[in-house]
Amino acid sequence: MLKFENVSKIYPGDFVALEDINLKIEQGEFVSIVGHSGAGKSTLLKLLYAEERPTSGIVSFNERSLDSINRKHLPFYRRNVGTVFQDFKLLPQKTAYENVAYALEVAGEPDEEIAQRVPEILDIVGMSNKMGKYPRQLSGGEQQRVCMARALVHHPLLIIADEPTGNLDPISTWEIIQLLLKINSLGTTILLATHNKVIVDKLSRRVVEIEDGKVIRDNEKGKYSSVRVGAQSLQ
Amino acid sequence: MEMKITKLQRTFKEGLNNFYRNGWLSFATVSILAISLYIISSTAIISVASSIALKNIQDKIDVRVYFNPDVEDNKIQEIKNKLAEYQEIKAINFVSKDRALEQFKIDNAENPKIKTALDQFDENPLLSSLVINAKSPDQYDIIVSAISGSSFAGEVSSIDYKQNKDAINRLITIIKIVEQVGLTLGIVFIFIGVLITFNAIRLTMYAHKQEFEIMRLVGASNIYIRMPFIFEGIFYGVSSAVSVILALFITSKFLAPVTQGSISGGDVMDFYLGHFFVIFGLLLVSGIALGTISAAIAIRRYLKI
Repeated sequence: MLKFENVSKIYPGDFVALEDINLKIEQGEFVSIVGHSGAGKSTLLKLLYAEERPTSGIVSFNERSLDSINRKHLPFYRRNVGTVFQDFKLLPQKTAYENVAYALEVAGEPDEEIAQRVPEILDIVGMSNKMGKYPRQLSGGEQQRVCMARALVHHPLLIIADEPTGNLDPISTWEIIQLLLKINSLGTTILLATHNKVIVDKLSRRVVEIEDGKVIRDNEKGKYSSVRVGAQSLQ
Repeated sequence: MEMKITKLQRTFKEGLNNFYRNGWLSFATVSILAISLYIISSTAIISVASSIALKNIQDKIDVRVYFNPDVEDNKIQEIKNKLAEYQEIKAINFVSKDRALEQFKIDNAENPKIKTALDQFDENPLLSSLVINAKSPDQYDIIVSAISGSSFAGEVSSIDYKQNKDAINRLITIIKIVEQVGLTLGIVFIFIGVLITFNAIRLTMYAHKQEFEIMRLVGASNIYIRMPFIFEGIFYGVSSAVSVILALFITSKFLAPVTQGSISGGDVMDFYLGHFFVIFGLLLVSGIALGTISAAIAIRRYLKI
């Protein structure tokens, strides 16, 4: 479903963020991407939701190179990909309901459909009792659940979660992971970039480790750090 | 097509929401836009009104050419026809000595002494004359010298130009100053107004900067992101046009007593009411144009990808 072929990303000033990445992810997988800050995790994800373009190589989604999608059609592509971020990225002037509805409004969905789907999806993430609240009136965990609802409302094929639990307490963190697992069990591919060792170890799913812009490990049912167990345990 | 209308309605609502949910920012932007429009429009009104006032005075200026008592009426009529050919002359009227006397009697009906004095004469003591209006006040000089140098100069008793000359010259100077000052101030204020408005709206857009990124991420097209801000620009324009038309009403009311009779026989308020739709229309058009164009330019830089 997702394919990185010899992908490199070099930012102006010869800063190499990614170097010769080759990666294949199948429909329905749950992949954790781990690595230090600045290792290139976020850049890798940005290439996927087409916020950035690779300097060389091909990133493809369902056999179609993202490079071949012209700018005008990018919004349509993005509707297939749900994104969740550490800083939530909710629109501050909109309520929880309106934030989720916005994702459908931009796609031109009819009003009746929006009125039906938004409460449904907010119910799934457990936010149906706070639909009318603005982001500033919600806790971090609640905001992240609204983001999840927004990411899900299009029934995307892929969810990209970039440090979704970075700002959350352990309980909220676990709730968000449970939600991701639930979504994954319904067939949606999940890409999770994280620093959280506990989560990765507990998930026991595929782990891709990135260091200095290169994939240095790709394990089925991996741990946060299998190669350098000794080094990690010293911390 | 249906989807386009839906999206247009949604972006309109979106713009309206932005407008009132960002209450304070909208208020500040509208105030700045309104102040610019107020300054521009009052400068324009002052220069238009004063040039109308001056044109009125100008129309009242004339030169009278008096003829010797022995010159026959039809001779004067002949001269009149000849003068009418000059392109500098806008209007020329013959006033016979009998008409002049009648007018003089009417003008001085209240004064019994003048009436008795007039009765002393067996004959009409007044002279026939031609009343000349020039197209522009600075042409009186040429007209007067043309008459003094003409073949019929001998029949002319007097021209009452010298007495009026100073007043006419002063008026010419005033008209020129008002026109130039009005034009200069107008251009300067329009420039300042556009600059201030543009920057205010750019700041407003900057406040929305992070939202553009979010909107893109959830799959909004650039047009869908841009439209609400264009509508917001329209709301800025309409609100400031309405505030300025109100502010101008108050200003006119305040200035009405001072300007009584100076503009086409009325005051500033009559001018305002008489030109209400023109003024309001121009305000709306310029407010909306300023608001939307600034918004469109300002938002462009945040929609690069």
